[in-house]
Amino acid sequence: MTPTKTVLIVDDSRVSRLMARQYIGALHADWIVEEAATGEEALVKARAVGPDLVLMDVNMPGMGGIAAAEQLRQELPAIPISLLTANVQAATRERATLLGIGFMEKPITEARIAQLLSTLEAA
Amino acid sequence: MFALSELENDALIEIFNIGVGQAASSMSAIVNEAVHMSVPSVSFINRAEAARLLDGKSAEPAGAICGVSQHYEGAFSTEAILMFPEDKSLEIVRLMVGEAVSQKELTEMEQEAMCEIGNIILNSCVGTLANIFQRELQGSLPQYHVGTSDEILIASGSLADTVVLMLHIDFLLEKHQIHGYVAFVLDISALHDLKEQINLYIARAMGQA
Repeated sequence: MTPTKTVLIVDDSRVSRLMARQYIGALHADWIVEEAATGEEALVKARAVGPDLVLMDVNMPGMGGIAAAEQLRQELPAIPISLLTANVQAATRERATLLGIGFMEKPITEARIAQLLSTLEAA
Repeated sequence: MFALSELENDALIEIFNIGVGQAASSMSAIVNEAVHMSVPSVSFINRAEAARLLDGKSAEPAGAICGVSQHYEGAFSTEAILMFPEDKSLEIVRLMVGEAVSQKELTEMEQEAMCEIGNIILNSCVGTLANIFQRELQGSLPQYHVGTSDEILIASGSLADTVVLMLHIDFLLEKHQIHGYVAFVLDISALHDLKEQINLYIARAMGQA
């Protein structure tokens, strides 16, 4: 059995957070899901809970997902991060690669969430 | 007067066709059913004519429309707008979130959910265009509007007398008989930038760049 993990969902869309939470819960009912609605809030939450995985939207009010991911990378380099975004542009994928983080396009589906969680299940 | 050559017009339609195909694929993943999208049509018209054209496409011309718009800047500027009949929006949101959410919650988050749907579909299309042009387009946060086509075009920043290029695409969710459309509005300055990008694309396609 996979030990309990904590996943931090960062998205300004409440419905996207709800859907991601729903799919994570369906796959791992015992995992803890934390939420943040902005990049700034994500930094505070990540420092407090030390998540095992961060799923990060890109286009958000405030500092945005790329800047938040960049800062998280510096502060907490061991935490895996994946962008989970509607921004499918090559430039965004390239930024993710440069930062050493994952990339998954929206819409959020159970299959996509399962794929993102699979790296933690193996750990 | 701004004009596109036959080859430029053909390339423009082809590029938007690819973008629309990607948007249809995203829409289909959201609602979990097949989505049919039309070939994009291109018109040089003013806002009032654009509104009339969109109203004429609506199954219920008198009904309110909900629209989600996003402004993009970069290789060219455009206002991208996704529009549905307002009375279908709750049904679309339900298709996206499934049965796990109560009707009360669903109603509360209807506008926010429509913004997210617009964000995914518009970015899917615009992101594909940016990739084809090998340039980046920066998008604003999605804005939600309800009203007539004219009111939505005004709220999205279109001026009454300015001639714009309107690219519009109809789509249909067959099982649920939901008809909507996506429109891209470009002013003259943006049209020149877009024309430049199209010519770079043509040159690359012909091995000249």
